[in-house]
Amino acid sequence: MSVIGTRGLTKIYNGEVRAVDGIDFEVEAGEIFAFLGPNGAGKTTTIKMLNTLILPTSGSATVAGFDVVKHPAEVRRRVGYAAQDVGVDERATGRENLTLYGHFYRLDNRRIRERVKELFELVGLNGYEDKMVSSYSGGMRKRLDLAMGLIHQPQVIFLDEPTTGLDPQTRVHLWDYINKLAKTMGVAVFLTTHYMEEADRLADRIAIIDLGKIRTIGTSDALKKSIGGDVVTLTPPAEKDEERQDFVKRAEAALSGKPFVTETKPSDGQLAVYVKDGAAAIPGIMQIMGSQGIEVKTIAMSRPSLDDVFLKYTGRTIRAQEGTQTTFVQMRRQANRRRNR
Amino acid sequence: MTDALSDTWQVILRDLRVRIRMPVFIFMSLFQPILWLLLFTQIFKALGGGAGGLNVWGPDVSYLEGFAPGVIVMTVLFGSAFAGFGTLMDIDAGIMSKMLATPVTRVSIITGRVIAAVTVGVVQAGIVFIVAAIMGVHVATGIPGVLLVFLLVGLLGIGFAAFSNGLALLLRRQETVMAVVNLFTMPLMFMSTTMMPATVNNDGVTVQILPHWLDIARQFNPVDYAVVGVRNLVLPDYYVWSDLWKPLVVLAAFAVVMVVFGTMMFRAKAE
Repeated sequence: MSVIGTRGLTKIYNGEVRAVDGIDFEVEAGEIFAFLGPNGAGKTTTIKMLNTLILPTSGSATVAGFDVVKHPAEVRRRVGYAAQDVGVDERATGRENLTLYGHFYRLDNRRIRERVKELFELVGLNGYEDKMVSSYSGGMRKRLDLAMGLIHQPQVIFLDEPTTGLDPQTRVHLWDYINKLAKTMGVAVFLTTHYMEEADRLADRIAIIDLGKIRTIGTSDALKKSIGGDVVTLTPPAEKDEERQDFVKRAEAALSGKPFVTETKPSDGQLAVYVKDGAAAIPGIMQIMGSQGIEVKTIAMSRPSLDDVFLKYTGRTIRAQEGTQTTFVQMRRQANRRRNR
Repeated sequence: MTDALSDTWQVILRDLRVRIRMPVFIFMSLFQPILWLLLFTQIFKALGGGAGGLNVWGPDVSYLEGFAPGVIVMTVLFGSAFAGFGTLMDIDAGIMSKMLATPVTRVSIITGRVIAAVTVGVVQAGIVFIVAAIMGVHVATGIPGVLLVFLLVGLLGIGFAAFSNGLALLLRRQETVMAVVNLFTMPLMFMSTTMMPATVNNDGVTVQILPHWLDIARQFNPVDYAVVGVRNLVLPDYYVWSDLWKPLVVLAAFAVVMVVFGTMMFRAKAE
């Protein structure tokens, strides 16, 4: 049975900005489900609708068996939440932070003590229970934040960018905890990320989200297979933008329609060529480039990555989008951050 | 209902714990009222009773005795008017949205903060009270009077703490809230009878001290009701028990209206 289900879930800000635009998906118990997309794609907005922090403009969502609009209190009792910015109180100890949430989730004192002990062990913070959070490192705070969302043994936990800003070692640790939660405790994990690797290594299924819409959903393998073959990337010797664009245009024209080419996609002044068999296609590509007099600096073949999947379904790379494309939601968030400083 | 009470209690505990861990702030905000008590009673000594005094508060009442009630009220006012800062800090630190994702009763987050702020304010007022007593202020109405003083300033504190929270949620920026709070606390104090009575009756001649417009303006100033109420209880031969209902009713109404404002802002603005 699915623990999260949405139908046409939509959030429109200020009557015009479609932050989340009619999304449908389901998440099963014990499953790790990732929303992969750039900043401003609508990931956080989706989480906030699912954990009742904001109301959807239209559509519906059911979480842990209850409608998020009609029965928000029932939903809150059954879900945990760790936001992108950790919501721990640094003027209190770890135990005090956890205990407060235990009370908010209506656990009795004895149960709270048990859970505090279990959770500090689970997230590897035992020994730090009575230290002030202000003395915790960033990774420790993140783990405490996660523990606070778990005190009431929720059926679902929402993790918004759980490892953003963490060092690689801490990130791997956190992945282990998240995996343990889903696989040994049966918690449904809904996480958002803009790290390909995180989605790839952690998630059972991935939804690619861009500009408020889900472009495709599947397991990492299925998504990569949907590209159908290998990716051959051609890089020009030119450094200048116009020359690179020109290269991409000419190379694309030369290769399109060739029987061994499935699809071509320009990205960042390079050309990604999707082919059924990369090793067999490279000589052919070289020959065509040579006969057209197009100079190629490097040619690389790779198994498709999630990056390629993202490119195929959105027409952009997730990295190229960072920084260049500023959406409304992103601008709002940046403004909020500045204000909060 | 029991959930709301338990949540409020937890929020109060959390808030008080944070405040007690930073005792320097509790003492810093005590510094100003005590300084006023020491300084102003020297500067304006001649206005009070005694040999050659002007007897502004009435015959044989020292300036200190008439001024101390105002300082006690001011202590609570300044203490509670900044209560909204904690709420803003919670929002900015992401603590608020995390709390709101739990089943916590919404209103408890505000009521708990308001009660905690007022508790600290009343304790501070108590300390100022003790300092005033050491300096020679004697509460004419005794222990019941002292309890009523705490009730009056408590109601005023609830009103301003709730107002401060509402304001913080409305304005959303710490600097703006700081500016607005400073903008209204000082004038509210000066537009009252904190430092001078409205009229002085000297040798059968009534002299209007506060300008007429100020005398009208103070009728709308909750701070003045608290000051008048407390002074009624402190000064000998000054209090009339039946006069006390007016400050009590006005301050209770002020507290209720502000708590409604604060919780409404919270429901509307706390994301």
